[in-house]
Amino acid sequence: MNKKVSIFSIIVISILSTSFSAAVQAASNDSLTVYSTRKEHLIKPLFDAFTAKTGIKVKYLTGKGGALIERIKLEGKKTKADLFMTVDAGNLWYAASQNLFQPVSSEIIENNIPEHLRDPEGLWSGLSVRARTIIYSTERVNPSELSTYQDLANKKWKGKLCLRTSKKVYTKSLVSSLIHHDGMEKTTDVVRGWVDNLAATPHAEDVHIMTSILAGQCDVGIVNSYYFGRLQAEDPNAPLKLFWANQNTTGTHVNVSGAGVTKHSKNPDDAIRLLEFLSSIEAQKIYVGLNKEYPATQKIKADNLIALWGDFNQDKMNLSFAGKNQADSVSLMQREGYK
Amino acid sequence: MNSKQNNSNFLMGLLALSVSFPIIVVCSAWFFPGTELWGHFLENLLPELIVSTFILLLGVGLGVSILGTVLAYLVVMVEFPGRRWLEWALFLPFAIPAYVLAFVYLGVFDYSGYAQVWLRDFTGISGFDIRAGSWAIILTFVLVFYPYVYMMARASFKRQKIQMIEAGKMLGAKPFLVFWKISVPLARPAIAAGLLVTLMETLADFGVVSLFNYSTFTTAIYSAWGDFRSIEVAAQLASILVLIAFFLIYFEKKARGKAKYYSSDVSHIRPYSAEGILGWITFLFVFGVFMLSFAMPMLQLIIWSIEKYGEEISQFYLNYLSSTGILTVSATILTVAVATMLALPSRRKDESKALQLLIRFSTLGYALPGSVMAVGLLYGVQNISLVSIHFGGSSINHILFGSVALLLFAYISRFMAIAYNSTSASSEQIKPVFEQSARLLGSSRMRLIKEIYLPMMTPGILAGGLLVAVDVMKELPATYLLRPFGWDTLAIRVFELSSEGLYDRAAIPALIMVFLGAIIMLLFIRLDSEKY
Repeated sequence: MNKKVSIFSIIVISILSTSFSAAVQAASNDSLTVYSTRKEHLIKPLFDAFTAKTGIKVKYLTGKGGALIERIKLEGKKTKADLFMTVDAGNLWYAASQNLFQPVSSEIIENNIPEHLRDPEGLWSGLSVRARTIIYSTERVNPSELSTYQDLANKKWKGKLCLRTSKKVYTKSLVSSLIHHDGMEKTTDVVRGWVDNLAATPHAEDVHIMTSILAGQCDVGIVNSYYFGRLQAEDPNAPLKLFWANQNTTGTHVNVSGAGVTKHSKNPDDAIRLLEFLSSIEAQKIYVGLNKEYPATQKIKADNLIALWGDFNQDKMNLSFAGKNQADSVSLMQREGYK
Repeated sequence: MNSKQNNSNFLMGLLALSVSFPIIVVCSAWFFPGTELWGHFLENLLPELIVSTFILLLGVGLGVSILGTVLAYLVVMVEFPGRRWLEWALFLPFAIPAYVLAFVYLGVFDYSGYAQVWLRDFTGISGFDIRAGSWAIILTFVLVFYPYVYMMARASFKRQKIQMIEAGKMLGAKPFLVFWKISVPLARPAIAAGLLVTLMETLADFGVVSLFNYSTFTTAIYSAWGDFRSIEVAAQLASILVLIAFFLIYFEKKARGKAKYYSSDVSHIRPYSAEGILGWITFLFVFGVFMLSFAMPMLQLIIWSIEKYGEEISQFYLNYLSSTGILTVSATILTVAVATMLALPSRRKDESKALQLLIRFSTLGYALPGSVMAVGLLYGVQNISLVSIHFGGSSINHILFGSVALLLFAYISRFMAIAYNSTSASSEQIKPVFEQSARLLGSSRMRLIKEIYLPMMTPGILAGGLLVAVDVMKELPATYLLRPFGWDTLAIRVFELSSEGLYDRAAIPALIMVFLGAIIMLLFIRLDSEKY
């Protein structure tokens, strides 16, 4: 029995000691640390390219947005994060409002990335662009019937509309942009109309919206462009098509994935270098190849497949409004029973 | 003597208090002023959420109680074709994470799934949205959680005195009457214990409810946090879950009462035998549950895996496997060690209501959503740092954040309920007479623990350990937030892929997890059959 007890305590002690050493090891200086809500398979190739070019190693920790932001906040001055990378302008805006970022003024970034995709004070920069737009069944919908996001609230779409859950940040940002352009009252009517027109409980994923249209559950929906890109890459003949919403009014809602240098970065120079690299043509090409997204820079063309979807007018609303209006947009959707 | 006993109470109390640490931090959110957010929630969100949470708990509760009890009764009391392998096969769904089962079911049974497409093609009936209403999500939870009740009820049926059932038969009672009037009442404490764990886990779930877009209390918690950025209101809402769980435990205690109906010997005689058609109907029913809850989802995962195998498998998998393995083994050892210490029998403990309450409180982490508990833990560490800075020390945040130690602590706190349920069940069977005689003979408490208590509690300790192991392996939110660099687990990989809609690739790490979980369950079953 004694022997068992001592083996047991050796195990416990060794677990505890290795666990602390793991934490201490992480703070070395010739490398960068990135906290990211973008998933590993989408960021690793970018960091590998950066390391190959500069010799600077990049460590990363992926996680969920809200939780990672709390972690950086609580780590305070001792944070290991040099760069915080996330998807959706709403999240970037929130991270900025929590004082997570330091302002960066870099000619390279300003040259590469258009103004409306960056924070006005240089706290964060968008790095890849996705359009959130209308998708329709080519078998059952004539594109001449389609026009705007707002028009999907029209009674003619009753029982034909599939939407993603209001709990997803992409939905919140889209509604935030409608509030920005049309005000609360008009947007309330639109959201109410959407809810009335739903063919099914709002879906958890954009992918499910597309499969539902293919299966005939609904005819139109709203999705992020890259989900359609992935589907098309697998099944080029799927009877689905993107429609660029709001071309004659405010332009199609675009959103970004992006990053900012953290306020307490130990190595801000290299962190800025990484951010500049991510905005460069070389990295933008990797972005585009990995995920069927649009480049944030206008210096390169979109991937062949998504170039076939044609050019469109982007909504030029500065993306920080997506964050500022977010609480309003969520309460509006909750009041109208958009689940 | 007395002071020594007080000492042991004090140590147990201290241990329970440390385990409760994240729960206390979450509940302490009430010291912060609520915001106007409560008004919006009370008006627009909570009335509906309370109703839908209640419906879910009621449906899942009834479902797992009925299904788990009936299955356990059939495999213990009735001889039917296939009984021998089905008896253990019914444990296997434990190995499947709930959110994995949910995405498989949606992929197969929702409007665009194979099952409905086939149904429409062959019968012409129109399709339907299985996420509307609550029946489909209730069914999913029932199929994933019934093993908790099955496991407990089965053990209880095995220990029921065969004489009582024979007496019932002799008095002319029909089988159903014997089941309802004798067996079920005798197994009531066991069923209630399984039910309790199920309801706590349902309350805390975020993965399944998100996939079904079903609103429960956790929806409001995440909305407060994610949408309105109020971590205080999120924690206040979460503490209501703790309160509900506390009531559930209270009712479970009541259901259990003071009575202990167990006989210590196990009978291998099956009083009933289902032959002919009846036997095959019984088989079809039990086999159907096994198919739906394990075989079919496994088959679907395998089909998806085959398509994406080449794309997904890489040398990183060695890393996922080792992180999963190290975390699972170390968290299990620690959790069970603490649970054992808390469950050790002592007369002093029986006398102290406060200590018992505190120990019960320390098991409530199971009812908290994982990420709320994890953030609670970060805030707790932050508070300690603030105190330390106040007294001229320095912050400990950077030492603890992202350390395996903190993650292990989170696991202990989160899974204490599972481990403690098992260890305390086995310690309750130790009669107080041991303590009295040990005292008379002047033997020390350490010796009593080593030579009497631990050997007697071993089956409960091992059973608890295996259950905790499966749960730790499947755990996602706390691991995701607290893990050190590079410590990605299989569960994290599943989440990262499935949250991007890449279900076919996510099937590969999911399948590995189910495979490892199944091995753990097989160990459990082996242990179990040695016991009987």
